[in-house]
Amino acid sequence: MGAHLARSYITQPDTEPDPRKPSSFDPQLGFDERKEREMVATQQQMNDAQLPVLQRDYCAHHLMKLMKCKRDNWPNFLSCKHERHDWDYCQHQDYVMRIERI
Amino acid sequence: MASLGVCRWARALSKGNQQRITALMSGARAASGISKDTLPGPYPKTPEEKAAAAKKYNMTVEDYEPYPDEGMGFGDYPKLPARSQHERDPWYQWDHPDLRRNWGEPLHWDFDMFIRNRVDTSPSAVDWPTMCKHLFGFLGVMFFLFYLGEKYPAYQPVAPKQYPYSNLHLERGGDPNTEPEEVKHYEI
Repeated sequence: MGAHLARSYITQPDTEPDPRKPSSFDPQLGFDERKEREMVATQQQMNDAQLPVLQRDYCAHHLMKLMKCKRDNWPNFLSCKHERHDWDYCQHQDYVMRIERI
Repeated sequence: MASLGVCRWARALSKGNQQRITALMSGARAASGISKDTLPGPYPKTPEEKAAAAKKYNMTVEDYEPYPDEGMGFGDYPKLPARSQHERDPWYQWDHPDLRRNWGEPLHWDFDMFIRNRVDTSPSAVDWPTMCKHLFGFLGVMFFLFYLGEKYPAYQPVAPKQYPYSNLHLERGGDPNTEPEEVKHYEI
């Protein structure tokens, strides 16, 4: 932990990637064919669900399902465990992709 | 006494007698102050007057010293040392342990300021330069660390989060008439 900080600030400040910028490499480099990420929810659906901007990511359809389930099962806060897990797992996969992409 | 006053007020108001109301108001003003025998006497000038004033305040002539006569209305009231009651011995059997005061003892002019849950004049445990050194040393270290954290932030080594629809061009307030640069995201 923290080794990337030592590399980026002390030992290799030139080669360590900056997480604020998109990758400088061509996304097709080393691939024959790549599958494009698929966005399920439409912009209209996300507007109708009044999602915050930061949650309009590739997991938005899971989040909308979870919100709908929570609304329909109120006040049973113990319900919607499956929807919650689906959304959490999607976010986890999204984060793993961010780790692998850098 | 209070009920009597209320009765008079009620009677005056019910009759609507203007003159009586004003008379009552002046009477109420006079009753709000302290009576003449509890006010301090005139500033003592001769040694005899000083001795009389010291006796009046239960003090010896050596201890008695009036406030300077500067028109502040202190009169012959004794000028006592400005020390808080907190400094007094807590183990002594005071007549009034809560105020740490004996019966008949002269009160400081600002006695209400020096009771134990208000101003405390007892010496502090740490002297002033040491206090300053500790405070400003701590603040200096903290600001230096804040500066370091701003200049070299700790971050998770991950790529920026991807968003659909050209990184939410419309949702982030982009111009709907211009065509945003197409952003393609791929699965891994």
